[in-house]
Amino acid sequence: MPEQLNLDELVQEHRVHRKIYTEPEIFALEMERIFERGWVFLGHESEVAQVGDYKTVRFGSQPAIMTRDENGAIHVVMNRCMHRGATICQQERGNANYFRCWYHGWTYSSRGELIGLPYPGGYGSHFDRGKFALIKAAKVATYRGLIFASLTPEVEELPDYLGAAKYYLDLFMDLSPEGAVEARAGTHKYGYDGNWKFQMENGVDGYHANFVHQSFFEVQGKKLGRKVAQLFTEGSPMESKDLGHGHSILDMAPKRQAARPVSNLLRGATSQAATDTYMASLEQRFGKERTSEILAASNVNLAIFPNLLIIGIQFRNVIPVGVGRTDVFLTPTTLRGVPEEINVARLRAHESFYGPAGGGAPDDVEMFNRCQDGLRVKGAEWLELSRGLEREYTSADGIIAAHLTDEVPQRAFYRGWRTAMGAAAAKPKLAVAAAIVR
Amino acid sequence: MPTLDRREAEDLLYAEARLLDELRYDEWLNLLTADILYWIPCNGRGTDPAHEISIAYDDSPRLHDRVGRLATGIAHAQSPPSQTRRLISNVQLEEAADGAVQVVSAFILYELRRGRERVYAGQYQHRLRFEDGRWKIAVKKTVLVNNDEVIDNLTFIV
Repeated sequence: MPEQLNLDELVQEHRVHRKIYTEPEIFALEMERIFERGWVFLGHESEVAQVGDYKTVRFGSQPAIMTRDENGAIHVVMNRCMHRGATICQQERGNANYFRCWYHGWTYSSRGELIGLPYPGGYGSHFDRGKFALIKAAKVATYRGLIFASLTPEVEELPDYLGAAKYYLDLFMDLSPEGAVEARAGTHKYGYDGNWKFQMENGVDGYHANFVHQSFFEVQGKKLGRKVAQLFTEGSPMESKDLGHGHSILDMAPKRQAARPVSNLLRGATSQAATDTYMASLEQRFGKERTSEILAASNVNLAIFPNLLIIGIQFRNVIPVGVGRTDVFLTPTTLRGVPEEINVARLRAHESFYGPAGGGAPDDVEMFNRCQDGLRVKGAEWLELSRGLEREYTSADGIIAAHLTDEVPQRAFYRGWRTAMGAAAAKPKLAVAAAIVR
Repeated sequence: MPTLDRREAEDLLYAEARLLDELRYDEWLNLLTADILYWIPCNGRGTDPAHEISIAYDDSPRLHDRVGRLATGIAHAQSPPSQTRRLISNVQLEEAADGAVQVVSAFILYELRRGRERVYAGQYQHRLRFEDGRWKIAVKKTVLVNNDEVIDNLTFIV
């Protein structure tokens, strides 16, 4: 590591250096220390629902396969034949009893064992098939259906890692009266010429909305005959929160009326009958109070370090391709156990804002492209992340919070980043892992 | 109900292509029926929009929102706007229910934005209906060849 790339100096509490977005050496180090040494989000259980189902995924830029074996267990194996290196799985999704490398026919089970070796006579008696199993993720764990994996075993248990974020993940999943969502309605895929961290910062940015998305709000406002997006102004009662481990949230729940979110969520696109049925089933399962809590928080912007955002109805997987190139996969969810029109309305609402032709997300992406270009300027070395630093506070449960428009989530991300990258803490505030008491 | 031959269908597709390439969106909206569906499937050919996400699935109000947003001048992903030219070929007519005509064509769309050139290819599926004395577009379904791949910016009208 060259002297000029000292991580402690490049990522400070209130500002970060442009080099963390532009230097290939730092990108390589991020892949090694963040994506190869820690928990990485890969997908949702419903994407590999049946025995034999698989989905190809990435650890940073490394290709891997998520599989479900005949006992129903989920495995994550690297997509690389142990013979001469070819990828063994070519489809993004499917169902298979085994994976065959078509270069020389080596064949692997869904658990990664080498089960087929053509013309074995050519290998000497010392050849040990057991040593040629696919490389596997050391740990695979799920939380409420979300699949995470780590290539190294030295990670804390997933529930501990998710920490305070678990409370919000529960709310998201409990929008289903069965407590389960599905991620089988397809995936929006877009990308940009910029660093991956721009997307992670932006997904929990309460400051940008009225500028980047002004065109969207203007058109909606004209139609509704009133100003929209007041949520993102100085007077908003909402908060941004540091959930520890690099996780953060724009918490829309405080002071929001419990009655409104249903229409917010569905943008008024469902019949009263369907809404009533849905509400009744939620209340039957969770009771009135919990149902209000779930609905009040249902419009989330939640970041799970390093590569997952949960926004609206979607899981957003941020995939670093290179220091200046990023892919982003948006997988919308549907709710189990609700009238079909509720899920149709969720999909249509998602499309209106997200995806490569959406009314909102492409304008964010435009900003990432502009940032990467602007960061070529030398002399202006820093990106300022100090907004709200003087008015943030730590609540009784150990959560750092401030106004919705403050840069608490971005500072939270870089606290997680510094820990993962092995840089020293910027301030003693480093870890906030206290679980929220329900 | 008048009939529509291939040449007339081509004329309509060409006229539409020119309006879109020249960003004359208000005139383009006049080619559409009041119950227009502007549909760009995602992850394949688009068979079940009730259970699948689309890249776009606009009814008339939503399509007007889309065009209205582009007209604000602060739709950043189109500031500056994409410059496009599209070629339409392989036009085939198929009968559809209720006197409508299904027009299937192949297209190549060249886009230039911020010095970056991109080429899209795919199939247009236009459903045309005779209304107010002329043929109008009731459904425009665009099946992009690359709709299961990463697409950075599809905020112009395809």
